[in-house]
Amino acid sequence: MKNAIGDWRLAIGCLVLAAGLPWAVNAQQNGSAPAPTSPVTGNATSGKALYYSYGCYACHGYGGETGARPFVGRWGHLANEREFVTFLRGRANVAPVIPSGSMPNFSVETLPDKRAKDLYAYIRTFKSTGPPLKDIPTLDAIVDAAKHEK
Amino acid sequence: MAKSQKTSVGRRGFLKNAAASAAGAAALATSTAPAEAQSTGSGRDAASTPSVPAPTEKQLAREAGSIQPPVAVRSITRPASDLMVQAIRDLGIEFAAANPGSSFEGLQESFINYGDPPNVKPEWITALHEESAVTMAHGYAKAEGKPMVAVLHGTIGIQHAAMSIYQAYYDRVPVVMLAGNDVDFIPAHTAHDMAGLVRSYTKWDAEPQTVDAALTAIHRAYNEAITPPLGPTLVVLSSEVQKVNSPNVRIPSYTPPQFTTIDSTTAKEIAKNLLAAQNPRIAVGRLRTPEGVERAVELAELVGASTGTAATQGPMSFPQRHALCGPGADKGYDYTLGLETGGAQASITGPGLAKIAPTRDTTNIDFGGILRPGRGGFAPSREKSAPPVEADAEASLPLIIDEVKRQLTPEQKARIQERAARHASANHDAHVAALEQAVEKARPGWNSSPISTARIYAELWPLIMNEDWCLASPSNFSGGHNAQLWEHNKPYSYLGGQGAGGMGYGAPAAVGAGLAAKARNRIVINVQTDGDLNYAPGVLWSAVHHKLPVLTVMHNNRAWHQEYMFIQYMAGVRGRGAERAIIGNTLRDPFIDYTKMAAGYGMAGEGPISDPTKLQAALRRGVASVKRGEPYMIDAITQPR
Repeated sequence: MKNAIGDWRLAIGCLVLAAGLPWAVNAQQNGSAPAPTSPVTGNATSGKALYYSYGCYACHGYGGETGARPFVGRWGHLANEREFVTFLRGRANVAPVIPSGSMPNFSVETLPDKRAKDLYAYIRTFKSTGPPLKDIPTLDAIVDAAKHEK
Repeated sequence: MAKSQKTSVGRRGFLKNAAASAAGAAALATSTAPAEAQSTGSGRDAASTPSVPAPTEKQLAREAGSIQPPVAVRSITRPASDLMVQAIRDLGIEFAAANPGSSFEGLQESFINYGDPPNVKPEWITALHEESAVTMAHGYAKAEGKPMVAVLHGTIGIQHAAMSIYQAYYDRVPVVMLAGNDVDFIPAHTAHDMAGLVRSYTKWDAEPQTVDAALTAIHRAYNEAITPPLGPTLVVLSSEVQKVNSPNVRIPSYTPPQFTTIDSTTAKEIAKNLLAAQNPRIAVGRLRTPEGVERAVELAELVGASTGTAATQGPMSFPQRHALCGPGADKGYDYTLGLETGGAQASITGPGLAKIAPTRDTTNIDFGGILRPGRGGFAPSREKSAPPVEADAEASLPLIIDEVKRQLTPEQKARIQERAARHASANHDAHVAALEQAVEKARPGWNSSPISTARIYAELWPLIMNEDWCLASPSNFSGGHNAQLWEHNKPYSYLGGQGAGGMGYGAPAAVGAGLAAKARNRIVINVQTDGDLNYAPGVLWSAVHHKLPVLTVMHNNRAWHQEYMFIQYMAGVRGRGAERAIIGNTLRDPFIDYTKMAAGYGMAGEGPISDPTKLQAALRRGVASVKRGEPYMIDAITQPR
């Protein structure tokens, strides 16, 4: 029975997730997904050092907003510590035939859970710093000029 | 051309002639220092020499600069190299870039002294590396749709240039190269078959033995370079052929090349289908010249077709913001025409490298797998597509246009106008929507320090949008933000990638584009990746020396970031952690100071700038500088990508 109840709850949970999915996917795509609010247990200062020494900025930018895979607004696997750590451990562990710039794998030997949580704590400090479009005259003017092009 | 006995220049014959006309030389010999006075290079210790002969009166006069030159009889009244330069001038070639070398002294002397005025069209451009010389020609050709010359010194010059030649070959860009060969000077600089060093990745080469043959070879090298598949060509010129007196030689008349076109039946069929279609589509790839782009626009306007472009990937394609360019009012196209692009119901594409590789790559190196079946051919076909017709699209366009004009009825004309108006409206909306997306992508990190690459492109655009500009550097490593934020409406707006993905391309290509820009009141933008600049940065000096309007904005992320990411991934796969992935992939300890580097070459500039609020003012100063004809560098410290 316990298992059955668990399954029932899981099914309800999936339905709730599914209902919210279109919104969630859209927000992830356009970079407007809200930052996670789950608890953070790591040390952000230690995490900052890790962020630099592991070269996370190479793909995610120095503030998590730029690069090939920005975090801010596209939190993806950063919803909570557990998901983040699971994600780090689940990357490829077989060398691809061609070079890959995908997310590397971080085994527990190279990045223990505690340090991974520190890293997570630092990433969670990232915030959207981009002003609204109306406050960026350069970008606003580019769009405005295009709108009025004949 | 038949070999001319009069102008055949065997080494012995040349030397014999030289000896026979040595009266002046004898006079010259008497004016030089006595042999014993020059013998200190014999290996003897100077200290052991009991005495050094006192200088002669003539030596003293020479030291004082008051010597009278000997009266010499000029035996060379019309050097062959003058004729070569004239032939090059007649072809409309504007520039010849070279790093100096003894094997082409005859040629260089003619370039700089022959003609009235001398050293103008073609102008001699000083390069600090042969790789720079050829990549200048690469960038120039992509901007102008025609070749310039690069001159190379013997085996060493050709090998220095090899990477750039390979890049031009892979990019199918016309470059005419001349290489000097002096078999009796420095053995290591000569070879029996010098062109063989790069034959596998050049389109054509020759080593003419006579002046007549050399002039014919220059014409052919030009024609081969500009005929599809476009590519670099090489003429090896011995010192003798360059220097021999050629009073009676005439430059042969130039015959332009024939371009392969579609036949008249195919032209009629395409015209008929374009006019009969309710919603035709024309996809335009990379054409050869600006004239081809004009013809493509003419055809699209004649038939009111919505049009696809490759202008955000490289030069010589359809104007990105032309009213017909975009998806159009309806994506259900009922007839598609591809011009230098496959996958359409009628595709016209010129031959690829696979066409020439079997005859050029005789040692079967098989660069890029071109020789392998299925490689180096056409793009995969889509549904409803037909195999491409192998012909030059640009040369075929007039035939289609003529047929369209002949078949066009007043009713069709009215329907086309109405359709074009709908396309224009839809394309405008699509453009604004795409731009809004691009802007939204540029907004995050706008205030980041180091500076986001999107901000560099966004801040540049308002400063150049009303200028005649050319983005010469590849933008793929800096986010490609120009693709939507900028408008690529000229054949030279964006010159695209390196060709073979080789680094060391951006700056010299920008200098080549700068050569094209200088006389045309155009400015060149070079968003320069840091790793790429460090291959041959001496080309900055060439930009200053020749006063080229090139604005270099460093995308200084202090690393080779792609490779950094590869090693991070590999370390992760092997479970060894990413901390040491910086080794060999980063440019730190020390950071390179690019404005100091530029200053060393005489280039004005400023930076490093990592505060994004200081960027716009710096860019403004940079644009003002290049508009004055003074190249400028801004060292922007940037986000990695």
